[in-house]
Amino acid sequence: MALVVWFTMGIALWHFTVFLPDRFWQGIVGALLGATTGAVVFGALVAAVTGQGLGDTDLGTALTAIPGTAIGLAVVWAIGVRQERPLESQA
Amino acid sequence: MRRNRFNAFVLIFVLGLIVVSGLVVASKPTRLGLDLKGGVELIYQGTPTGETKEVNGEDIERSIEIIRERIDKLGVAEPEVSRLGTTEISVSLPDVTNAQRAIDQVGTTAQLYFYDWEPNLIGREKAIGGFPGQEPPATLVEEANKEWTAAGRSTSKQSNQQLIFSGAFATAYGAVKLAGEQEPEPDCGDCSTNKPRYYLFDGTPQHKLIAGPEFAEKDLFISATGIKRAKKERCKDDEAIGDCQAVLTVPPGTIVASQQPTDPGGKIIEGVENAGWYALRDKPALSGSDITDPKQEFDQVKRPNVVFGFTDDGREAFQQVTRQIAQRGQARAIGPASEEQAEQLSGRFAVVLDNEIKTAPTIDFSQYPDGIDGRTGAEISGGFADIQEAQDLATFLQIGALPINLKLISRTQVSATLGEQALDQGLKAGLIGLALVILFLIAYYRMLGVVATLGLAVYALVFFALIKLIPITMTLPGIAGLILTIGVAADANIVIFERIKEEVRAGRSLSAAIAVGYRKGIATIIDANVITLLTAFILFVLATAGVKGFAFVLGVGTIVSLFTAVVFTQALLGVFGRGRLLTSPRFVGAGEERVRWHFDFIGASRWFFSISGAILVIGALSLSVNQLNLGIDFESGTRLNFSPEQSVSTDQVREALDGEGLGSAEIQETDNPQFGEGFQIQSEELQPGGVAAAKGALSSEFGIQPGSFESTSVGPTFGAQVARSAILAIVFSLLLISAYVAFRFEAKYAVPVLIAVAHDILITGGVYSLMGKEVSSGTVAAFLTILGYSLYDTVIVFDRIRENVPRMPRAAFSQIVNRSMSEVLTRSLITGLSSVFLVTVLLIFGGTTLQDFAFAMMVGIFSGTYSSIFIASPVLTAWKEREPGFVRRRERLAGPDGTVPAFADEVAMARLSDDSISEAEVEEVPAPVAVAESATDGGDPATNGEPATAPDPAAAEQAERNARRRERRKQRRKHGRNR
Repeated sequence: MALVVWFTMGIALWHFTVFLPDRFWQGIVGALLGATTGAVVFGALVAAVTGQGLGDTDLGTALTAIPGTAIGLAVVWAIGVRQERPLESQA
Repeated sequence: MRRNRFNAFVLIFVLGLIVVSGLVVASKPTRLGLDLKGGVELIYQGTPTGETKEVNGEDIERSIEIIRERIDKLGVAEPEVSRLGTTEISVSLPDVTNAQRAIDQVGTTAQLYFYDWEPNLIGREKAIGGFPGQEPPATLVEEANKEWTAAGRSTSKQSNQQLIFSGAFATAYGAVKLAGEQEPEPDCGDCSTNKPRYYLFDGTPQHKLIAGPEFAEKDLFISATGIKRAKKERCKDDEAIGDCQAVLTVPPGTIVASQQPTDPGGKIIEGVENAGWYALRDKPALSGSDITDPKQEFDQVKRPNVVFGFTDDGREAFQQVTRQIAQRGQARAIGPASEEQAEQLSGRFAVVLDNEIKTAPTIDFSQYPDGIDGRTGAEISGGFADIQEAQDLATFLQIGALPINLKLISRTQVSATLGEQALDQGLKAGLIGLALVILFLIAYYRMLGVVATLGLAVYALVFFALIKLIPITMTLPGIAGLILTIGVAADANIVIFERIKEEVRAGRSLSAAIAVGYRKGIATIIDANVITLLTAFILFVLATAGVKGFAFVLGVGTIVSLFTAVVFTQALLGVFGRGRLLTSPRFVGAGEERVRWHFDFIGASRWFFSISGAILVIGALSLSVNQLNLGIDFESGTRLNFSPEQSVSTDQVREALDGEGLGSAEIQETDNPQFGEGFQIQSEELQPGGVAAAKGALSSEFGIQPGSFESTSVGPTFGAQVARSAILAIVFSLLLISAYVAFRFEAKYAVPVLIAVAHDILITGGVYSLMGKEVSSGTVAAFLTILGYSLYDTVIVFDRIRENVPRMPRAAFSQIVNRSMSEVLTRSLITGLSSVFLVTVLLIFGGTTLQDFAFAMMVGIFSGTYSSIFIASPVLTAWKEREPGFVRRRERLAGPDGTVPAFADEVAMARLSDDSISEAEVEEVPAPVAVAESATDGGDPATNGEPATAPDPAAAEQAERNARRRERRKQRRKHGRNR
C-alpha cells in the first residue's frame, strides 16, 4: 500500500509542473518519470531507514513522498537544462 | 449498384438472423450462474500426492474429469467444473444446498489400498494383534492399557477393548512415533507413497494431532485454506510436555492409518476421539486400480456394502494374498480346526482408503484354504456409517482416485431465492437502461435514432440467442457486462451519427453524408472496439471465475455490436436513405448547430491539471490514512447473510454468535426487498462446520427466513490469488493496449494513454478509500472496465487528432488538438451521458452486487471522460510540441507576445485585426494548404476555415511539389517561346 501512496502522491504533484517552464528532460513525460521515481525511491529509502513495513501506512507515508517528488523533478530539470546548453551555444 | 446489392444482402442476412435468433431464444434455456440460481461454489487448489512430485496441467485436467463424473453421480444438473489459474479448480453446483456433502463428494482423493494385515503390523502392535488366536503378552497389554488410560480413554469400554486387542494406539502420536522410528525405504516402488510425511502435535500430555500428514514440513503450519497456524517452540524431545509443538516424520515404507471401532451390532462408532491408530509397513497387495465394476449393495444382514470385481492382475494378486493369509492361519492351527477355531486363527485383509481403515475382514482358511478366487469378485462390508457412505465409496472406486490432493480454498453458498431476486433486479436494470438509451437516441438523433434503436433491438436479440447457444453462463457481473455492451453498441452509432451530422451541416446531401460518415467513423470504432476486446481478453485469461463471465460477455457483445451497429444500420440507411423520411437534415437531428465548441482546451489544461492534482493529493492522503477497505475476496474470511424471522438488534445477533466464537465478528444491518431486515456477519474464515454451527445458533435464537441464508468463505490462498490475478490483468491490459496504440497511432500516443489510465485508477482508488467502500472482486472487474472505458474514450479523441494532423500541415499541435476536441466533445458528452443513464439505472435497480459495480463505473465514467479530454490530450500536446517540426510551426505562428492563437482559423483573423499588416501580407502567411479530398466523397466542405482533407502529410507535400514543378515548367515554356 505504501508503494501506491508514494506513486499517487508523485503523480499528484507532477500535475502542478504545468506551471513551470518546460525545461524538463523529455518534457512533461520526463517530469512524470522523475516525480514518480523520486517519490517511490525516496519513500522506500525512508521506510528502510525507519524500519516501517510497506503494508503499514499513515499520514507520514504520504508526506514522505513530497521531498522525493521534488528531488526527482529537480534531477530531471537539471538534466534537461544541461542538455539545452550545448544546443543554445550551437544556435 | 454493387453497394445496393450488398445492402440488400445484409438486410436479408439480418432478417434470417432475427428468425434463427428468435427460434434459439424460444427453444433454448438460459444457463444461469450460481449467483442467479443459488447453489454451492467450491474452489480447490491441487497439491501433490505421495506418488506425484508436482501438480501439472495433465493432473488438473484428469482431476476435472474425475470431479465431473463424481458430480454426475451426485445427480446435480448443469454443474460447471473448470480450471482456474495453474493449480486451481472451480466447481459450481447449482441447486445444491448441502455444502458439506458436496465437499465430501468432490474433494476426496480416494486413494484405495489393500493390505495383508498381520505381516504389516509393527512392534508392540504386532505382538498384540499380529498373531490371531494367540494370547497377547500380558505385559504388553498392560502397557497398552496404561497408555490408553493416560490418553483419557477408558480401557473397559468394549469399543476400546476391541482396538487395544487389535494392537492399536490410543493416539495418533503413539502410532506416528512408532512409524517414525522405522528405517526408511528410499526407492519404495510398491509403496502407496515414496515420500516422507510430517505430523504436527501439541505439547499437551495427550499430544493432540494438529496437522498432518503433509508432504512438506512447512505445510503443517498453514491450513488447507491457507490460514497460518501459530508456530511455537519445538518440544525438546518427543516426550516433552509444555507450551511447545512436536513435528514427527514418517519415512517412506511406513504409513499411519486410523480405524473407527464398531458397536456390537456392527455399526461404526464415528468421531476422531473414538479412533484407534496403527503404524503399518507400506506393502499394499492391491490398489484401487486393480478393481473393476464397484457397486453399492447390501450384505446378508442387510448392511450396506460395496461389491466389486478385479482386473486380471488384480484377481491374481487377490488370490495370492488371500492364499497366503489362509496358509498362515492353517499353519497356526494344529490339525483340523472347528469353525469357531478357524475364525479365531484366521488372518485379516485390510482395506485402507485415504489412510483410514474402512474394513479388515478375516480370511477364513477353513472356507478358503487356497485363498479367494477373484473371479467372483469381493466385497467391502461393515465399515460404513450409513448407506450414503457406501454409495460414495462405490462412486469413488468406479471413477478412480484423484491424481492429486485437493485443498478447499474457497466456498460460497448462495440462496436460490436471493439468486432469483438478483436476476430480476439485473434484468429490470438492463431493460430500463436499454429503454432510456433508446429514448435518448431517438430524442437526439430522430430518424437516425430510430435506426440505431433497430440496431440495438437486433443486437439484443442476436446477443441473447448467442448467450443461449454457446452457452454463456449468465452471472451478475455478466449482466453488468451485458448492460455495458448496450452502451458500447450505442456509442458506435453515436460516433457515426455525429460524423453524419458534421457532413450534413457542411452542405452534403444526406445520402452522401451517410456514406462519408460511415466511412470515416468505422476506423475510429474499430480502434475503440479492439481496445475493449483486448481488455476483455486479458480479463478472461487472467481474472477469477466471476470476472471471467463478465469478460466473456463483454467480448462477445462487442463483436456482435460491431456488426449490428455498423454493418446493419449502414445497410438500413443505405436502402431507406433515399426515402422521404431522410430528406431533411432536421429528420436526423442535424438542423442548425445549437452548441459549437470553441474552447481553448489546451490553454485551460493547466487549471484542469491542478484540479486533478488536488484530487489525487487528497486521494494519496486518504490512501495513506484509511488505506483501502479490502473485502474477504482479498483478505480472506467468512461472510454470512441472513434475515431473521423476528425483529432483532445487532447486539442480540452478536450475543447469539458469541457461543460459536464469533462475538467479535463485524455485524451490519442490511435491508432486502423480499425479506426485509437482515444482517451481514463478517469474521475470520470459518470451516464448513463453523458455518453450520453459526447458522444453527442463529436459527435456534431468532429463526431464519427460508431462502435468506447465504455464506461465502475465502481462504488467504484464494484471496492472494484474486489480488495477484487482478494486478496481472491490469498490467497486461496496459501493456497490450499500449502496444496496440503505438502500432495504430505512434509510440508517443501510447504514453498519454497510460497516464490517463493511471489517473483514472488512482482517482477511483482514492474515492473508494475516502468513502470507505469495500473493494471486492466485482470492484476489480469494474476497475478494469473503467480502464477499458477510459482507453476507449481517449482513443476516440486521439483518432480525431491523428486525422486532423495531415489536414492542418501548418498548424501548431495545440491548435490541432483544440480543433479535434471541439469536434469530438459532443460525442464524448453524449456517450458519457448514455453510459451514465445505464450506470444510474444499475445503481437504482441493480441490487447490492450490481450497485457496487455501478458505483465504481460511475466514478470511472466521470474520470475517464475527463482524463481523455483534459489529461491525455494536453500531455500529448506538451510532448509533441517539443518535436522540431512543431517547434518551428509555433515560432512561425506566435504573435508579438509569443502566444499562439488557440485555433488555426484565428491566425488569419488575428493578423487581419492588426492594422500594420495588409491583406496581401496575410495571404503570405503560411496558411494551411487546401488539398482536395479524394474523388469518392467529392471533397470535404467541413473545413471550418482550415484546410480540407489530405490523405497524409506526404501527399500534401507532394501536391505542393507538383504545383511548383508545374509552375517551373510553365515558366520555362514561356521563356522558350519568348526566345
